[in-house]
Amino acid sequence: MTEYQVVIVGGGATGVGILRDLSMRGISALLLEQGDLAHGTSSRFHGLLHSGARYAVKDPESATECIEENYILKRIAPHCISDTGGWFVQTQEDTPDYVEQWIEACAKAHIPTHEISPSAAYMKEPLLSKNVLRVFEVPDATVDGFKIVWANAKSARHYGGQYKTYHQVQRVVVEKERVVGVVTKNLLNGEEFMVHCDIVVNAAGAWASQIAGSIGIPLDVICDKGTLLAFNQRLFQRVINRLRPSGDGDIFVPHETITILGTTSQFVASAQENNPQEEEVKKLLSIGGHLLPGITKHRVIRAFSGVRPLHREDHDVTAVNEEEGRNVSRSFALIDHEIQEGVQGFISIVGGKFTTYRLMAEKVSDWAAAKLGNATPCRTATEDLLPEIPEYLQKKAAQLLPCAPVGKMLERLQEDAESVLMEIQRDPRKGQMLCECEMVSVAEVEKAAADVDTHHLADIRRKTRLGMGTCQGAFCTYRALPLLWQKKEKYDALQDELRDFLNQRWKGIRPILWGQQLRETELTRAIYASILQVGEN
Amino acid sequence: MWDGIIIGGGLAGLLAGIRASERGKRILIISEGVGSLTYSSGALDFGDVEQLQNREKHPYALLGEAPVRAGMDYLQMLFPNYQGTWGVTQDLLTPLGSPRKASLVPSGQNAEALQDAQQIVLMAPEGMKDFFPELIKTNLEKAYPQCIVYIHPFRVSAFESWYALGKSVTGMEYARYWQSKPGLEALKRVLYCMTQIFFPNQESIKNKKSVIIFPGLAATFSDPLKEVLSKAGLPVIEMTSFPPSASGHNLYCALKQKFKSLGGELLAGTGVQRIESQGKLCGKAIVRSKGRFTAFSARSFILATGGIFGGGIEVTAEAAQETVLGLPLYVPAEWTKSEFLGEQPYARMGIEVDSELRPINSRDKEVIFENLRVVGRMLAHWDPWSENCGGGVSLATGWFAGEKL
Repeated sequence: MTEYQVVIVGGGATGVGILRDLSMRGISALLLEQGDLAHGTSSRFHGLLHSGARYAVKDPESATECIEENYILKRIAPHCISDTGGWFVQTQEDTPDYVEQWIEACAKAHIPTHEISPSAAYMKEPLLSKNVLRVFEVPDATVDGFKIVWANAKSARHYGGQYKTYHQVQRVVVEKERVVGVVTKNLLNGEEFMVHCDIVVNAAGAWASQIAGSIGIPLDVICDKGTLLAFNQRLFQRVINRLRPSGDGDIFVPHETITILGTTSQFVASAQENNPQEEEVKKLLSIGGHLLPGITKHRVIRAFSGVRPLHREDHDVTAVNEEEGRNVSRSFALIDHEIQEGVQGFISIVGGKFTTYRLMAEKVSDWAAAKLGNATPCRTATEDLLPEIPEYLQKKAAQLLPCAPVGKMLERLQEDAESVLMEIQRDPRKGQMLCECEMVSVAEVEKAAADVDTHHLADIRRKTRLGMGTCQGAFCTYRALPLLWQKKEKYDALQDELRDFLNQRWKGIRPILWGQQLRETELTRAIYASILQVGEN
Repeated sequence: MWDGIIIGGGLAGLLAGIRASERGKRILIISEGVGSLTYSSGALDFGDVEQLQNREKHPYALLGEAPVRAGMDYLQMLFPNYQGTWGVTQDLLTPLGSPRKASLVPSGQNAEALQDAQQIVLMAPEGMKDFFPELIKTNLEKAYPQCIVYIHPFRVSAFESWYALGKSVTGMEYARYWQSKPGLEALKRVLYCMTQIFFPNQESIKNKKSVIIFPGLAATFSDPLKEVLSKAGLPVIEMTSFPPSASGHNLYCALKQKFKSLGGELLAGTGVQRIESQGKLCGKAIVRSKGRFTAFSARSFILATGGIFGGGIEVTAEAAQETVLGLPLYVPAEWTKSEFLGEQPYARMGIEVDSELRPINSRDKEVIFENLRVVGRMLAHWDPWSENCGGGVSLATGWFAGEKL
């Protein structure tokens, strides 16, 4: 007896993408995620929707995949993407040889490039270094990792797909060389149970080798930690890349009112090692200063790290050094463990990058559909990720909320905005901004707090952006407490929720503790340690 | 020529100015900002003085017990409405309604009456920002299990148009309103209505020990307000509030007024650019105002620029700097620890001083300026948040500097 045809392990972009794709084909699927959706690498990157230009020279295959997916995602998920465009900028320190090579490689991969003069560039980006020699425009864009993951999950659910968060897969269960299911543990109540299925898809990203390892299958996933900085302003209007072979600190990606500078590359032993370090921050600032002079004068609100799950096929790697992280292909691999290890119905999807998540999902789903004898073709490249936001909702939102939060809320909630707006209409007080930095209303946080798959304050943060702005939780953490309290059966004691949340925020502030963010920290400690006496009770 | 110039007009700077003025000194306070009392609860913490005195280099250890006691006594002498007894802490309520302790508490915030209360009426002003009556009720019931807690929601006509728009009213705005003439009348009516509902006759008040808890109210420095409250016939306890706080702000205003009434001069809104010095003596404070530089001379100086939060210490990605004189700073090698609300080494950054609060070189312990004293958050080797002694250190060092000037 099987409960589901497919169980997907991992709730990052790839996992939810697979869930949606399978569900659209009428294949019953369950996704199991050990934390909250998008808690891992899918929300811990610079948020660049690659044009492919970055990979054109070194990894043409990836570059082609990127440009194709770039166009597809801009079409099917416009509310998750800001089509800012991007520049590749050659400074005086960068070699001209590489530029020519790059132009040619982009052309080969069908990535349009368009040169603009440095003087025209300064008009558009006044903060850009004056040491710029050449500037090329490419179709880079920015993407909101949280939004795209939630949108996929929502759409999958619409098609009958199911997911469970805070469910850790303990092991894959194999009988007679054939997958029959997985044993999963509900991390919220400790309950362990078996889910029966015909196929298990291992999309656990940086955790994928643990899943394969549960049945003794070796899977070489390299954990490559990347650290990034979030600046408090939108310093540039478009993505700014350094035109040179990829290195640390060579990309600025603007998102709404902030800018992200990325990225370092360092091999780590496990996916848990995602604490940003002071040395990485220093390195980023020193290299980023070549594109943005006076970089340290701009307020940094946070550092964060993600762990890229890179795939390398040879198993005999012994010595790995930092530089190698960039040399491992960013393309993805689909590993059918029947061919490799003789286990039927088990597939791992490793490597790849956020921009190609849909394509990876399509390939996996094609494989699963073939195994299950399902001939329905993939529709994710053509069908919109989410329906258009109806005009009456837009109008209603504009009536009830200040203009700046309207778009943000609609993009996050889509048609679910209706219940939030109704609530604000019923009780105008709920239209107040609970999170003033990210402009999130009381009613929206209330809705997120009540959601079935919200279990911690951090889950509310990922859904609403609460606590992710300038104050880093100083004010909004306190304001979210009564909403958690109203649903207290779901959450840990307020004291614990609060302390955990503040400690999580602190993790990203510690390596950038100077300037205004240091002052903010003094205020936050005053509020919670002294005024609210949280440390005491 | 001033007898003393105090740079910084927060709690420590103002207290130093008041004490020195009282002693007949001509004092000028130059204050760029407005101090940080408005971000505080209005209550003042001294922490575990005995224990902190044993902590090497802690301001309490440098000064010894007498100035710490003197700081506490002095504030109470200035403002008899602040209650506190050496070695004893007072009860008060956090903005979440949980009980806490502090050393010096504005009389209105004293929550002692809750100890043997049987009924609590929590006043719930309509639309008050950062005030969560249901949650407070739960916390009160937990802390005072013998009590029945009622919530009494009310609204006042002055804010009707705000309510209609769903606009919140901050505790500061409510507190300011209650102090106005129409506010006082409204408060009488609000209290009267509440009494009619919960205590329709004198018997019902006497039979059960009842207490009123009132957020967004700061009566400590207002006699008319205190009079209205006294007529309620029941003890009224003010809650401390989430920042900004009316109680903290009122203390700030009262200190300023006291300083001015003693003949002190306050130059506000501009900071000191630098100090001209000769050898080990500070001579002139250079102030930039309206595009011009002006020099003020004094015999003595007090640096009370409020540390990191006050702006007296600026930290960049590369270095930390004392902003007025460029004095050497103690900067801990380890900067932070993982538990946010626990010990954080960065917070102990500041200026090292001798037992007279004069800045010293860390190497040879030599005094850098003979006529400069450093007070409050500018001092090294203490942390108000893990040691709970923010008020105590500011009062003790402020008093001491004012006494010695």
